[in-house]
Amino acid sequence: MSENTKVKIETSMGDIELELYPDKAPITVENFLTYVKDDFFTNTIFHRVIPNFMIQGGGMLEDMSQKETRDAIKIEADNGLSNDRGTVAMARTMIPDSATAQFFINAKDNTFLNHTAPTDQGWGYCVFGKVTEGLDVADKIISVPTTVKAGHSDVPVDPIIINKVSIIE
Amino acid sequence: MYPSIQSSSIKYQLLNKTAPTSGEILFISDLHLSPDRPAIIKLFSQFVNQRAVHAQALYILGDFFEYWLGNDDPAEGLEEVFLAFDALKYHNVPVYFMHGNRDFLVDSEFSKRTHCQIIPDPTKININNTKVLLMHGDSLCTDDIDYQEFKKTVRTEKWKNEFASKSLTERQNIVHSLRETSKTETSQKSNEIMDVNQNAVNETFTTHTLGWLIHGHTHRPGIHHYTINNQSATRIVLGDWHDHGSILSIHNSPSENSFIYKLEKFI
Repeated sequence: MSENTKVKIETSMGDIELELYPDKAPITVENFLTYVKDDFFTNTIFHRVIPNFMIQGGGMLEDMSQKETRDAIKIEADNGLSNDRGTVAMARTMIPDSATAQFFINAKDNTFLNHTAPTDQGWGYCVFGKVTEGLDVADKIISVPTTVKAGHSDVPVDPIIINKVSIIE
Repeated sequence: MYPSIQSSSIKYQLLNKTAPTSGEILFISDLHLSPDRPAIIKLFSQFVNQRAVHAQALYILGDFFEYWLGNDDPAEGLEEVFLAFDALKYHNVPVYFMHGNRDFLVDSEFSKRTHCQIIPDPTKININNTKVLLMHGDSLCTDDIDYQEFKKTVRTEKWKNEFASKSLTERQNIVHSLRETSKTETSQKSNEIMDVNQNAVNETFTTHTLGWLIHGHTHRPGIHHYTINNQSATRIVLGDWHDHGSILSIHNSPSENSFIYKLEKFI
């Protein structure tokens, strides 16, 4: 069996390594890797940081403008993977099939984000990987002071910048 | 071992204060707690121990008590309920208390005793940048004209002052008689009269310019979706605690300007 793909997120607060699960979330992993290969994530930020919940990033720039993305993908949240601490899942709007580039890292077991039913409320959020190294960096990011910027809540006062995301194996 | 707050029959576990919260905001109403219903008092205690002490906040939206006579009422049989509020205070869980039609005499003394913040009906709150209106719900039942007339009378300062000036026994007798009348009238009223009036619901969404309303009172738990003035609107109705508990749990969401909600039974 081949090893799962690993990627490294280099941030202004340290590196976070992820293992991805193409077997469980093929569309989502392929979509994420396309953005990685396009160097899309460089200079995006973790723009939503909520203690005891999650850190979210990969779609906005430091000036709080949204980067233009590819088309939204089909949701794969019914893949049996749970939104446990350290897992990585796709952010989206309230429409299930709306994820593009933004992702989040669960800071605790957020099982209420799991798939329960194919409804707007029950679809849940698709886990497609987990942090294998640098969970302490995610914990450091989650504890930074936040503010409201450009109408968005929970935005770090000092931007947490994603310098680069690359495939490491 | 952590310390505990306990009475003869229930022990409220006091956890390490640094333990992370569940992040959920809990909403309950219509428990109708009274010494005559010890099983529901026990269920409320279990709810506090298992869910509420871990929550980010607890909102009580009316008719928490079957009746409330005033602070001089020794409230025998309700000791565990007051201990539950002590446990919530210990865990730094903010508790917001809106009165209903049964417990509208709660006041600042009650607030001090229970560490609850009393909130008016209606109250607007903000969850993840989304405005949500909280009500008990009786003001939406405009088809029940007799009840609305009665409500007008008993909510005047004059009536409340007169009631408060009576002895505890007199107040007990008045409430006993009101409860008997209410039981008889309820059994004679049609189901439609005792539910919300749709025009009152539409007007509430329009007046407050928001898309979410949470209330209790009708004992008809459910989630109702509407389109009002071309905007989507959702009314969540909390259930009563008769055969089982009923709770609404709300969590923050990775989707902006929204939240995740679940109306569930508590057994």
